[in-house]
Formats: sequence, C-alpha cells, structure tokens
Amino acid sequence: MRKSLLWITILIISISLVAVFSLASCKAEEVAEEEEVAEEEEVAEEEEVAEEEFTMLFVPGIADPFYFTMEKGIQAKADELNINLIVSEYPESWGPEAQVPILEAAAAVGGIDLILTAPTSTDALIAPLKKLYDQGITIITVDTYLGDGDYSVESDYSFPLSYIGTDNKLGGQEVARHLAEMLDETGNVYVMNTNPDTSSVVDRGEGFTEGIAEFPNMTLIGMDYCLDVQQEAQNLTTAALQKDPDIVGIFGVNLFSAQGAYQAVVNAGLTGAVKIASWDATQDLINALKEGKVDLVLAQKPAEIGALGVEWGYKYLKNGEEVPKKVIPGFEFFTADNVDDPDMQQFIYSK
Amino acid sequence: MNTNKNSTLGASQISSKRLSILAKNWALFFLLILILIFSFTGKRFFHLANFQNILHLSTTYLLLSASETFVIITGGIDLSVGFVMGLSSVLAATMMQQMHAVNFPPALSISIGSIVTLIICIIPGLLSGILITRYKVPPFIATLGMGGITSGLTLIMCGGFPVTFLPPYLTEMGNGYMIYILPGKAVSFFNRPEGIVGGELKELVRIIPFSFIFIFIVLIILWHILKNTKFGQHTYAIGGNMDAAVRAGINTNRHLIIIYVLSSFLAGLAGVFNVFQTGVGNFTPFTAMYELLAIAGVIIGGASLMGGKGGIFGSVIGVILIGVIENGLHLSGVDPFYRFIAVGLVLITAVVIDQSFPDLL
Amino acid sequence: MRNTTIEKNGIHGFFLQLGNKWAVIFLLLEVVIFSIVSPGFFSLNGIQVLLINSPFILLLGLAEIFVIITGGIDLSVGFVMGFASVVSAKLIAIFVELGMNDLFSIIIGIVITLGIGIIPGFVNGILIGRLKVPPFIATFSMLGITHGVSELLIEGSYAKDVPALAGKIGNGSLISIVPGRTVSFFISPLVQRGERLIGIFPNVFVIPLIIIAIFAFILKRTKFGKHTYAIGGNIDAAIRAGINVKTHLTKIYMLSSLFATIAGILYMLRFVTGKADAGVMFLLDAIVAVVIGGASLYGGVGTVWKTLIGCFIILVLENGLRMFGVPTFYKLVVVGVILVFAVLVDQFFPELIHKED
Repeated sequence: MRKSLLWITILIISISLVAVFSLASCKAEEVAEEEEVAEEEEVAEEEEVAEEEFTMLFVPGIADPFYFTMEKGIQAKADELNINLIVSEYPESWGPEAQVPILEAAAAVGGIDLILTAPTSTDALIAPLKKLYDQGITIITVDTYLGDGDYSVESDYSFPLSYIGTDNKLGGQEVARHLAEMLDETGNVYVMNTNPDTSSVVDRGEGFTEGIAEFPNMTLIGMDYCLDVQQEAQNLTTAALQKDPDIVGIFGVNLFSAQGAYQAVVNAGLTGAVKIASWDATQDLINALKEGKVDLVLAQKPAEIGALGVEWGYKYLKNGEEVPKKVIPGFEFFTADNVDDPDMQQFIYSK
Repeated sequence: MNTNKNSTLGASQISSKRLSILAKNWALFFLLILILIFSFTGKRFFHLANFQNILHLSTTYLLLSASETFVIITGGIDLSVGFVMGLSSVLAATMMQQMHAVNFPPALSISIGSIVTLIICIIPGLLSGILITRYKVPPFIATLGMGGITSGLTLIMCGGFPVTFLPPYLTEMGNGYMIYILPGKAVSFFNRPEGIVGGELKELVRIIPFSFIFIFIVLIILWHILKNTKFGQHTYAIGGNMDAAVRAGINTNRHLIIIYVLSSFLAGLAGVFNVFQTGVGNFTPFTAMYELLAIAGVIIGGASLMGGKGGIFGSVIGVILIGVIENGLHLSGVDPFYRFIAVGLVLITAVVIDQSFPDLL
Repeated sequence: MRNTTIEKNGIHGFFLQLGNKWAVIFLLLEVVIFSIVSPGFFSLNGIQVLLINSPFILLLGLAEIFVIITGGIDLSVGFVMGFASVVSAKLIAIFVELGMNDLFSIIIGIVITLGIGIIPGFVNGILIGRLKVPPFIATFSMLGITHGVSELLIEGSYAKDVPALAGKIGNGSLISIVPGRTVSFFISPLVQRGERLIGIFPNVFVIPLIIIAIFAFILKRTKFGKHTYAIGGNIDAAIRAGINVKTHLTKIYMLSSLFATIAGILYMLRFVTGKADAGVMFLLDAIVAVVIGGASLYGGVGTVWKTLIGCFIILVLENGLRMFGVPTFYKLVVVGVILVFAVLVDQFFPELIHKED
C-alpha cells in the first residue's frame, strides 16, 4: 500500500514538472520565433544594419588536430562578423552512429541558421542533414562531402549550399609527384588509407594512384585501411614492410595513418631507407619531419576552410548572395628544407 | 583375466597421460605448428627480423597479459589496464615534455618522468582493489568504472592530441638493438653504425632488441614471484577457493588489493614503455580493445576465468600465439579480417580443451 | 513471487523505499536539470531527437538483461549488430539490382537477415550451454568471428547502394503532421523548405518499444521468464527442478542475437549503409545500463523495466551533454561514477533487491 502511494506521488510530481517545462520551452520557442520574425522584417527594410546576429553550428568529423584547427578558424571569423557560434561535441570515432546523434542534439537546441559540418559518411548523412535543411537551416559541408560532391546537379544530395575543402585528388597527385622526385622516380610505394566510405581520403588515394601511374618505374604495391585508428596503421604498415622489403615510399592519407606509418618505419629501423609522405601537418608530424622520420608533409588549410565556410554562409544569409557550389582553398608542402621557415609556421595544426 | 584387465588399464593410462601432456601444452604445440606452416606460406616469415619484430611489438601486450595473469588467477578481472596504459603514456610524456622545455638534461627528465608516472599508476589499482574488497563491487564493474574515469582524465590531460616535443634518445632506447651487423662491412653495439644510407640500411642485421631484454627481466621476476614465493601460492589459493584461503589465515583483502595495484603498475609500465617505443604520449582510444586481447592471451595460455589456474609462461605463449597468427596471416597475403576469426576460434579451442582435461595443473 | 521486504516503519522506511527507486529518481532529476539548462531539451523536437537515437542501446540493453539474468554475459552483440547491418544492406542491394521492387527487396532482405542473425546466438548457446565454455570467452570469440565475417562480406569497405526508401522508413515517424496540410504515417511527406514538419514517435523507436513491451511480459509472467530467473539464481536447483538448462540457455543467447540483429537492421534503415563496427560503441553502454538498472552480474536479479530506466539514464545524459557541447571525457567520468554508485547502492540495500518488480 505504502509503495503504490509513493509511486503515485512520484508520478504526479514528474508529470507536473514535465508539463511545466514543456510549456515553458514551448513558450520560449514561440517568443524566439516572434523575435526572429521581427528582426528579419527590420533587416528587409534597412540597407545598412547595425551588428546582426546569426547563429551557426559547427559539427566536426572527429576529435583530431585538423578539426581543432578548423574550429579556431571558424571562431575567429565568427567573432569578426559578430556571428553566434555554437560548437558541438567532438565525435570519438569516425562514423554516422557517432556523428548523427551529436548533430541532431546540437541542432535541436534551436535557433540555428546555418550548419557547418564534415559528414562522416557520403551516404548515411544525407537523410539527417536533409531533415535539418527542410526545417530551414542552411547546410555547408566542409572537408568532406555528400554523395559525389557535385551539388550543382539536382539530386538527393544537392541541397547543401556549398562544399568547401581541399582538392583531395589534386593533392594526392601532387604528393605522388613530390614523393617520386624524392625517390628518383623508381621503386615500390604503399598507401596507408583510413576509411573507404569517406570522400576526402578516397580521393587522396585515387589521386595518388593516378600520380604514381605517371612514373613507369614506380609501382603502387598496396593500399590498406586503418579506419582512422593509429595503432592499426602502425600494425598494418609493419606487416607491409615485412612482406615487401622493397617498399621505398609510404603515403599516409591523414594524420593518424601517417603517424602510425612513420612509427612503424622507426620501429623497423628503416628511417632513411623508406621515405614517408604525410597528409596533414600536426605538431607530431612536423617534429618527425625535423627529425628526419618523415620526409614530406602536406598541410591543408583547415582554419581557412572553416573561415571560408563562415564567410560564404554569412554572405548568403545576409544578402542572399550566390555561393559557388565548390570552394577549393589550396595546400602547402613542408619538407626538411622549409620546415623552419617562419612563413610556414602558420600552417601547422595547433590547439 | 585379471592380468589382461590390468594391462589394458595400464595401456590406456599411458596413452591418456600422453594425451594430457599434449592437451596441457597444446598452445605451445599449436604455436610451433603454426610457425612451421607460416614459414611456407608467408613471405619472409621465417626471418630473424620478423621474429624479433613480433616480439618487439608484442611487448606491450606481454606486460598487459602479465598483469591480467595475476588478476585472473585470483578469479577476478581487470578491464582498466588499457586505459591505465593510456594514462601512463600521456602522463609520462607530459612530464618529460615539461621538464625538457625548461632544459632539464634528458637523462633526468626521462627518468623522473618515468618513475613518477609509475608511482601514480598505482592509484587506479588501489582504488579498484578497495572497491572490490571492502565494498564488494564485482571486479568487472569496478575496473570498468575505474577504466572509464582514467580514460576521461587522460583525455582532459592531453586534449585529444598526442604529446610531443619529448627529450631526445627516447626512441633510440626504445627501439635499439644490442648488436648491429652490416654483412661484410661493419659491426657495432647498441647503436646503428654511422654513415649508412639508403639501400644499405635494408641489409642491416639487428640482433636482440633492448625491449627483449627489458621484458625478459620483468617476466622472469614475475614468473618467480608467482611460482616460487608464498605470495604466488596465496594468489592461487585465493583463486582456487576463497573461503578456504580465508580459513587458512590468508589476509585475502590485503592480498587482493596488492594484486590490483600490481596489475595497475604493470599497465603503467606498459604505458611508459610505449613512450620509449613510439616517442610520443598517446591516449588509448576505445576501439583498441587492449584489455580484451590481453585477457585472450592469458586464457589461451591456460588460465581459467574461474581462477586458480594459469601462469606467466602460459600467458606469454598465448600472447605470442596471437601475434604469430596476425603476423603470419598478413604475410601469407590473407585478409587481415580473418585474424579476428582466427583469434576467436583459437580462444574457443583453448577453453574447450581446458574443459575436457580438467585436472591439468 | 516477491521477496519479502523487511518492512521498516516511518521515515527510515520511506528512505529505504527511496533508495530502492534511486534510479528512477536520478532519471527524473536528469530530465529536470537538462530541461532547465538547455532550452531545446524538453521540446517536441528535442524529445524526438532523443528517441530516434535510442533504439540501439535499448535493444542491446534488452539483449543483455536476458543474458545477464542467467548469470552470463554477451560481448558479441555489438558486432552481431554490425553484421546484421551489413547483411541486410547487402541483401537489399542485391535484390534491387536483380530488378525487384524497392519495398519488397527491403522486406525480404530484413526477413532473411533475421534468420541469419540468430546464428551467432545459436553458436553462443551451444558453446555456453553444452560445451560449458564461460560466457565471457564464448561471446568474446563470437565477437571476433562475426567481425571477421562482416569485414569479409564488405571487403574492408562498407555496404551501400541501399534504396532511399529504406532511409525514408528509418528516418520517418509514426505520425508526421504538416500543420494545415497533411498527416501521414510511417513515411515523412514531402515538404517545402521552411514548412513545419512535426514528427511524433520515430519509427525506429516504436519498434524497440513494442519488442520491449512484449518481452518484458514474457520475462515476468511466462514460464520461460521464470525459468530464466531460476537458472540465474541457482543453476543446480534449476536442473533438479527439471528445467532443460542447456536448451534454455541456447534460446536465451539466440534471443540476444535476435535483438542485436534487429538493432543492426534499424541501423541500416536509419543510415542506409552497413558497417561491421556499427554497434561497437553501444555494447558497453548497454551493459552499464543493465547494471545501473539493478541487475547483478551474478545472475538471478533484474527486470526489463529497470533496464529501460538504466538505458534512459545514459541516453538522457548523453543527449543533454551533447546539447551543451560538453566534451566527451566528462561523460566517461560521470558514467563511471554512476556505475560504481549503482553497485554500491545495491550492496548497501540488499533487502531492496526484488526478483521481479
């Protein structure tokens, strides 16, 4: 008897609390909507407007220095344009099951005008992002894209405003050329890739393959996928080195792959005999470059990518400007020669 | 009639004894058979460099398995070892980095960093042990919870970045070999011979990695403790029958706390070694599953999750077996995914054999 | 059959009752705190987000509670889920390529996957029930084997080419309303951009809910359920009572795999892809949820309802922290602490543990 009484009490208290809060937040939503509508009307009337607030949400791909650096670029630009920036939680692992709940929860806070995100799957993120798009939120994909990345052709995935990211294919080709030059255009090379369902690294792998094909005396003897886990990259590279001792060059397509790969080479005592090209310029990799453990580092410009995303998004939201469907910033190469160059320091990814 | 019966009995006794010996050491035999097979199917498997590589890269797992051995013999389990290793790696690296930045001599920053880390790594084990003994929290939960907390702290400390800018000489110590021979040209000790470049490096023969000496010493000490000291005997006793152990006068609570502290300490050692081997401090991502593989090694080596059985030697065989399987399969050109299947099958086999021959130890 | 509570009178008794229900109270506190702190948390949209991301942990939690009550554990559910997502995606893609209608491909693909997904559980059951392999080892091995098989099927890549219809089902809600225009069921209607779409009860939440309700009933009221508790309580007594333990355990593990398979299918519907490691991050959450819900790893104790509470404690915590943008490590620490606390409470209030609730 006493038990059921207790239960009933708890139920009543909880239901009333629930009711109170849902009403409160509903009211808050309505009020917010009214305010937004009023603001927009004001904007339409005036040409020169005092500082205006948009709210942008950044949902990164995974917790790694590349995205940390991108966040810094985004934050700086947002501060400059007086945009309210919300940064979501960083996913622990690469994949839709980690990213989508974060994306949806962060967007559910409400009041978001634009989302900057790096979709962790070309297919799986289409439906969740489309849902947000239908609510009126603008989407810009950074670093990775949906579908085949071509938003100019009408399709299931052409709703994002733009794709802003490095030209991964071109980068892969350039890495191949630079690496080939370092290897006197002869020998066997190996690629440590990450996820086969991620646009960016797939393009890098393809670009590299095409680049190597230009050199008749060079052969690409293998490509493995470490699923963005550094230890796995190290294990796979070690095995590859043992299997094919005539590997002279390795390309790590992102920071985890490259870090694992070069450590495998160090462990095998082959530093100097095997040249390593790395995509992404973390402090660890730059150090390794200085110590001779890595020979070539490609630095993307995550801060610039982020800033461009904010800037184009702002132009669209404020003035309805036409935004290019693809925006491609460049990249820089670090070698032992220019690693201490003061002008180059800005391209190193940092906290 | 009687004589016949006796002799029949005798014969079957002998053959079942042989079978028992085979079953008891099945992991070892299996390992040898695999090495034989892979030598034929694997490209450059049967190679000094390869074998040394397998051992060198198994060092962390050997340490973790050693720690699990003690815990599992007492009938418990420690799911925090992977995360304590991550903590130790990041902590040691951070300390070394800080000291190096203020110009401490490398020898000092390396040694202080390592020792302080090892001392701090006792704490997670102490907490787990207290939870398990005094508050009767099941080891599965206590160590899992401790692991999560440790992991969180590690991430806070390093912010998701590997810790770099460490003092020099670390990787040389971690990856060095005793003897280097360049056939026909040079021989040197402890360090790579000077002035070798490019293709010649590939011909360099290295013998006896430092890591091997290090792990050998650690394992011998642990083996001795488990087999020959009262501490070791008490460990088996607790695992075999906790109540009997208590009645025999063993202070089980204190003993168990020491066991978990030891486990945590060895995990810390693994983390410090990791810094020497890789030259950076790395946190442990969740996907790594270090503890599960360590436990698999221990079970394959003959221990039982119920406790009371197993040993250092068995665990070593178990870890090496897993390492050989992975390495051999890859060199034989088999998809790495078969390795997951293979380890799973081997593990089941281990337990089934264990069940079929219960009176082995 | 209730264990008799030692009736204490007055305030002391009240607090004991409270201690027993601490999980529910904690959950309510969580909801209240996050509602105050995060504006969107207790809105219609916020709740939908919570629910649409809940099925995986709910189903894996259901799988684990059945297994844990028998005193065992199932470490393979994460990879069985991935396996199911891969198998279902591949089957559907193949059928579509062979020219079959989208809807039929999806339905038949799902049905076949349900059949295939039980196999790991069957093997677990044989190993554990008949060959007496400890559950930890057996299911850990199965974890590795299903992982390997999944990867082989997708050749290191991932399963794709699933028709968009699947995604519409997976992301749709039971009832979708466009105010003033249409109401539709199961699949979202096409909306003009900016139109308000109200979704109520995501499809992928409704299915686990129904399954949970059914199996909660089974666990509590049928002989099957009672046998499950009996085995967990005292396996020898169960045998002497005439229960066919070997067969029962096999069924339990098959059930566990079935739930994990359903979770995998829901993954495929939601994300129109299949990945081998789709379920990895949910395994630990599921076990933690079960323990927070008061089950004992030694068996014989726990209920589906309490596991549900445990699941939601974790879900609400995760969701709330996400809305805040709180870094992941805080969640780890909090969950670790809750876990230990849960077990301690059960230690200090042993008389409050009921077999069934």
